[in-house]
Amino acid sequence: MTDTAGRPVVNFEALFHQAPCGYLVTDDGGRIAAVNDTFVRWTGYSRTTLLGTKLQFLMPVGDQILYATHCIPQLGITGSVSEIAVDIVGADHIRRPALLSASRFAAAGQESGSIRVIIFSAHERRLYETELVSALRAAEESDAKRALAEQELRRLALHDALTGLPNRAGLKARFGAAPHGGTRERKSLAALFIDLDHFKAVNDSLGHSAGDNLLVSVAGRLAAAVQASGAVARLSGDEFVVVDEVAGTDDATALAASLLDVMAAPMHLEGLEIVISASIGIAVAQGGGDTVEDLIRRADIAVYRAKERGRNRWELHRPAPSDPAVDRLRALGELRRGIGEGALRVHYQPRIDLRTGRASGVEALVRWQHPARGLLPPSEFIAMAEESGLVRPLGAWVLDETLKLAESLRRNDHGAGLEFAVNLSARQLNDPGLVDMVEGALERRSMDPALLLLEITETALMSDPGAAVESLNALKNLGVGLAVDDFGTGYSSLTYLKKFPVNELKIDRSFIMGLGLDTGDGAIVGSCIDLAHAVGIRAVAEGVETSGQAQALQDMGCDLAQGYLFARPLPVPQLREWLASHA
Amino acid sequence: MLGALTAEAVAKRNNVTVLGRADGPVMLFAHGYGCDQDMWRRLVPYFAADYRVVLFDHVGAGHSDLDAYDREKYGTLDGYATDVLEICAALDLADVILVGHSVSAMIALIAAAREPERFARLILVAPSPRYTNDADDGYVGGFSHEDIEGLLKSLDSNYFAWAEALAPMAMGNPDSPEYAEELRSSFCRTNPSIARHFARVTFLSDSRSILDRVQCDSLILQCSDDLLAPPEVGTYVHQHLGHSTLVHLQATGHCPHVSAPEATAGAILQYIGPRP
Repeated sequence: MTDTAGRPVVNFEALFHQAPCGYLVTDDGGRIAAVNDTFVRWTGYSRTTLLGTKLQFLMPVGDQILYATHCIPQLGITGSVSEIAVDIVGADHIRRPALLSASRFAAAGQESGSIRVIIFSAHERRLYETELVSALRAAEESDAKRALAEQELRRLALHDALTGLPNRAGLKARFGAAPHGGTRERKSLAALFIDLDHFKAVNDSLGHSAGDNLLVSVAGRLAAAVQASGAVARLSGDEFVVVDEVAGTDDATALAASLLDVMAAPMHLEGLEIVISASIGIAVAQGGGDTVEDLIRRADIAVYRAKERGRNRWELHRPAPSDPAVDRLRALGELRRGIGEGALRVHYQPRIDLRTGRASGVEALVRWQHPARGLLPPSEFIAMAEESGLVRPLGAWVLDETLKLAESLRRNDHGAGLEFAVNLSARQLNDPGLVDMVEGALERRSMDPALLLLEITETALMSDPGAAVESLNALKNLGVGLAVDDFGTGYSSLTYLKKFPVNELKIDRSFIMGLGLDTGDGAIVGSCIDLAHAVGIRAVAEGVETSGQAQALQDMGCDLAQGYLFARPLPVPQLREWLASHA
Repeated sequence: MLGALTAEAVAKRNNVTVLGRADGPVMLFAHGYGCDQDMWRRLVPYFAADYRVVLFDHVGAGHSDLDAYDREKYGTLDGYATDVLEICAALDLADVILVGHSVSAMIALIAAAREPERFARLILVAPSPRYTNDADDGYVGGFSHEDIEGLLKSLDSNYFAWAEALAPMAMGNPDSPEYAEELRSSFCRTNPSIARHFARVTFLSDSRSILDRVQCDSLILQCSDDLLAPPEVGTYVHQHLGHSTLVHLQATGHCPHVSAPEATAGAILQYIGPRP
C-alpha cells in the first residue's frame, strides 16, 4: 500500500509499540508521558505506574546523580544525549543494564517541551565493558602501588635511617661500581674513611640517644663541609666516608685536615659541651684501577694506622708494591688443581617453609678445601673462576652433584618433593651452552625440572638485562624455577625485574641481620616481601640467625627462610641425618 | 604564592574565557560536578551586556589542561579553591561576584574564606556542604556511602563513552540546530579516571565547617525537586552562613541555570541590585 505521494504506508503506532527497544516521551521535567509496549514488557511495570513517574526514578541512586549532574544539563544545552550507560530497575527490583539516548524538544507555541527517549538492553556489552574497566583499574592500582614500593624501597635501601646520609649501597649507586682513574680533568677519586675517636665512651656515659644525636650532628657537619661533587655516607656505627674528586694526594690530605677542624668545634649534647675528634684514613685512586669499594677498603686500612698513631689525625694509604698479575696466576693455578684433585665439594643448606616449619628444599653451596687457607666459601674463588672460564666446568659439576644427591634422596621418604636450589654465575648466564647443559643434567638424573631452582644474583641479572631475559626464558621453558639472589643489594630497577620470569625473591642477608634492631631494615625486608607477593612470587630470607628474626619474618608473611638458626650448609652425610631428624 | 602564575598560564590550565562588557563588574562562574563551562551558556546572555563574564573549566574538566591534574592537589576542594584564587589574581579581578554551582558553591566559600577582600558577593546555586548523611550528628545530606559507591560504578559503566576516542556520535536533534555538532560531541566530556576521582572528592567531602568562616554576602538559590540539594540542605546552609539570603527558585532539578535560565538570572539580578 502506498499513500498519494507514493510512499509506503506505515503503521506508526505499531512501529512505536513493537519497536525492538523502549520508546518513551517525557515532559521537560522528565515525567513519563508516553511509553511503548516493549518498555512496559521489559520492565514489568504496568503502564499506569509508569505514566507520570520521573524517568530517573527508575534508575539506582548512583545513576540518578550522574543523570542529574551530566545528562540533564547536556540535554538542556545541546538538545541530546547518546548511549548513556544506566541501569533500569524493573518491577522485580532487578537491575537491567541499558543504554539511553534522548533528544529534547523545546516548548513551541501551544506545545510544551518534551524529551524523546530510547532505551535498549545492553547486558552483554555492559558485562564486557565492566570487565575491561576493572582490569584497567586493577592494572592502574598495582602499577601505582608498585611504583610507590619501588621508590620507598630504593630510598630505604640506599640511605641510613638515622642520619639520612647515603649508606654503602647508596655510595655505590652514586659513584658506580666501575674503576675510577685520574683521567677526567686530571682529577682522581679519593675516599676518606672517618672514624670518631672514643665514640663508645660517649655512648656509654651519655646513653644511646645522645650518641645518636652526636652522629646526626657529625653527619650535618660533614655534609656541610663537602662540596657538591662529593658525597658523605655513613657506613655503620661511628664510621663515615667522604668520597670526592681531588687534584692529587695533597688535595686529599688538605680535605682531611679541614674535616678534622670541622669536627673539633665543640658541640652541645644533653646540656654538656663536648669536643670530639676523629681519625681519617685516605685513599686516592691510582692510575685507573680502583673502584669506590676498593678505595673504601684501602682507606679503612689507613684509618687503623691513624688510630694506632694516636688518633685525631689522618693517614694516607699507599698500596704496597706487588704484581697482581703474578698473584692472580698463582691463585688460578691452585683453583684449577683443586678442581682436578677433588678439593671442591658441595654443601647443602636446608630451606624452611615458615608456615609449616618443615624443610621444603636445600640450597647447594660449593666449598673449596684449600690446602693452606682452609674451607673457602664461594665468595673467595667464584670471581676468579668466572674470569678464567673455569666457572663453566665448575658450574656443571655442582649441578650434577646436586641432581645426583636429589636422585638418591628421592629413594627415601625424607627426600621426596624437596626442591634443590643451585647458584648460577653471571658468566654462566651468558654462556650459550647453559640451557643444553641444564637440560642434559636433568635428563641424566631423571629429575623433575619443577624441583630444580636456579639462583641468579641481582647484580648478574642487571649487568645485561636484555640478554638475561632471553636466557631466563629459555630456562623457564625447561620447566625449572628461577630465583633472584641477594635481592636488595643491586639497586636494580624493579620495573625491569618484573620482566624476568622469576619464581622467587631472595632477600639479602645484610637486611635480615638488622631485623628487630631498629635500623630500617625491617621496613626494607617488609617491602621486599610485599613486592614479591605483589608480583605473585615467593619471598625467601637468607642468613636467618635468631628466632627473633624468624618470628619477624613469619609475621611479615615471608614464605621460606634459611640460615644458621635452622641449619648451616651441611655435607651430605650430615644433611641426611638432619633431614631424617626433621622429617 | 598567589599571583605567581601568569594570566597565560592560568588561562591555559583552566581554559579561561572572558566575555561581555570589558569595563563592567566582574562575574566569575564556577561550574559543578559532571560538566564544564558550557553549562552556563543559557545563563550568560542575561549578564553579558553589563558585566565582565569570566568562565573557566576546573582542571580535569572540559578543555582544561589535563596534564595539570595532580591527584594530591585536587584530592580536596581546597585545591580547586586555590585555582579560583589564582584565576582572580592572574586576571587581577576585584570585587568579584562569584557564582558557584553545586560543589563549586563550596569551592567558592573556601576561596572567600581565604581571600575575603577579593569578592563582593557569592551566588551559591544548589549548594550542599555534605552529600552523605552523618550518623554521628544526624546531619541529612541525602545520600548514603553506598549511593556514592553506586555513582562510581555508574561512572565506570560510562567509562568508554567518556573516553574521547570511543565516545558515541550524537545523532543530533532537528529541533535545536543552533548548536554545532562539535559541541554535542564534546559537551562536558571529561577524562573518566579524573571524573571518578573528582566524584570521590565531591561527594565524600564535608565542608560544613567552612560556613561560619565566611563573612561575604551570599545568595543561596534553592530549587524544588533537586536530588542533590534537598530543601533541608539549603536551609542548613542559610542557617550556618552569616549574611546569607535564601531564595526558592521556580525551577526543578539540580541545574536551574540550564532548565530555567530566566528565573535564575532574575533572582541573581534582583539580589545584586540595579544594573551599573
